[in-house]
Amino acid sequence: MDFPPRERRAGIASLRRVSFVVKRRSPIAPVAWLVAPALLLFVVFFVMPFAVMATLSLLSGNPVNNPNVVFTWKHYDRFIEDSAGIFHDALWSTLRIGLVTTIAALLVGYPLAHWMARIKSRVGHAALLMAVIAPMLTGIVVRTFAWMTLLQDKGVINVTLQSWGLIEKPLPLMYNEFGTVVALVHIYVPFMVLTLTGVIGRIDERLEQAARGLGASRFRAFLEVTLPLSLPGILAGSLLVFALSISAYVTPFLMGGTNVLTLPMLIYQQVSSSFNLGFAGALGVVLLGVSLVIIVAYNHVLARLSGEEALS
Amino acid sequence: MIARRRPFDTGRAAYLTLNGAILLFLLAPLAVVAVFALNPLPYISFPPVGVTTRWFEKFFTSSDFMTALWLSLRVAVMVLVLSTVIGGMCALALVRGNLPGARVLTACFMSPLMLPAILTGLALFQLFLLSGVGRPVWGLVAGHTLVAVPYVLRTTLAVLHNFDRRIEEAAASLGATPRRVFFEVTLPIIRPGVIAGGIFAFIVSFDQFPISLFLVLPKGETLPVVLFNYMKFDLDGAIAAASMVSILLALSVVLLLERVIGLKAYVKL
Repeated sequence: MDFPPRERRAGIASLRRVSFVVKRRSPIAPVAWLVAPALLLFVVFFVMPFAVMATLSLLSGNPVNNPNVVFTWKHYDRFIEDSAGIFHDALWSTLRIGLVTTIAALLVGYPLAHWMARIKSRVGHAALLMAVIAPMLTGIVVRTFAWMTLLQDKGVINVTLQSWGLIEKPLPLMYNEFGTVVALVHIYVPFMVLTLTGVIGRIDERLEQAARGLGASRFRAFLEVTLPLSLPGILAGSLLVFALSISAYVTPFLMGGTNVLTLPMLIYQQVSSSFNLGFAGALGVVLLGVSLVIIVAYNHVLARLSGEEALS
Repeated sequence: MIARRRPFDTGRAAYLTLNGAILLFLLAPLAVVAVFALNPLPYISFPPVGVTTRWFEKFFTSSDFMTALWLSLRVAVMVLVLSTVIGGMCALALVRGNLPGARVLTACFMSPLMLPAILTGLALFQLFLLSGVGRPVWGLVAGHTLVAVPYVLRTTLAVLHNFDRRIEEAAASLGATPRRVFFEVTLPIIRPGVIAGGIFAFIVSFDQFPISLFLVLPKGETLPVVLFNYMKFDLDGAIAAASMVSILLALSVVLLLERVIGLKAYVKL
């Protein structure tokens, strides 16, 4: 079915109206009660804890052992004033690392996702999927360790380059943002690949063939047909990877050493060494705010994607 | 068109080379860990000078590592059971229950995957602290279950959406009671989705770090936390051996998943 976009959209809208009306007529089935345990888990161990975190961030102390706690903005003021000059830097480096990781993950993930979506052999497809999912199911601590052995001064890459005489001194590959980003890309690129490959797989290959039949080179056909059609996937994958990489703790800690300080590191530090739960909560709310914006955007993109899928 | 007729296709070769390099980037780090797990030198050094099993012996005889490994496995099994039951039931309710706002509910239940897990850990830690329960193992299990349920939900929903309800109607019209329809028709059909979700739940819990970081007690740490604390000060073959165990576990899980449901089911958005 190839309707022009506007009519197609109108079609979707009317379909939605119809399904809405039909759905409203059918009563809630008894099976709906099965949602109760999940709802309970979600409310008690997700909504309530975050409510506690937000509340603590607005209190002057711990309400359990201190009866004189009052409402205060001081934790947020401390973050905003930033007299020590580290909190804003931590926020910016968190966002910067997230952004660079996302772009790199997109560049690394796209070709692989494309190959996976277009490969004809079933065995090849299964093998590629395994190659993507196996690293994903390996713990982040383990994968960060792997990158430490590769990027250290005496790691595999530096030693190999030195033995080939290409460099004199070891390259500074670790204990900086570069090493952090490399390891983060490795950790989160599977999410990018899996998101993209679903979207690319849904693009009709004949569109690209038609462009080539009209004289476009393979690269140009990709650039002008497949790439624009996969934009929603690019957006969804990028939002996902960004949301994941700004919350990373282990990798910036181990790969960045003392040269990298991100918001999650700062948050844990506030709890473990300063035991300042209110300020940790305030920092948490800042990070939560950034994440929520991204998640809302992500869900929006996904809803549009599945809406299109429902009609095709 | 001319390019396609040539015996050597440059564009195709570049495409495959690029993808080969990306696969190398994905898989080489895992292979490198194996090299260090087998290298006898007491520090990370390259190239390897021999082959030894002493690091595996050190890992499997160290009481710190073993206590942590058993705790991780115990928690992971509990999370597997809890999240398959909760997630499976939830998926049925969302698809069959005609719930108003089922779409919003689904997004809510999936959100623990995207919200920073380190914040979930912090928030749970604060809740447990204020309510005076401390840091019990069930708290850790609850935190892990929260991030594992979305995986079960995703795989089960995928199966339920492809479900042909006429099979159930046929069973019912042949005289089966609703209970019998559920146990003899519905359950067998959604089982692979639930099982695959459970396998994901197990490995997600086994690898979980940020929530555990806040919820474990000293001397009662899960394996990833113990490894992390060890790595802050020392990088030796024991870490590589422990990592190797974790990688082999992930590989067997991937093979298992491919057999149970086919990994393709996971690619769905």
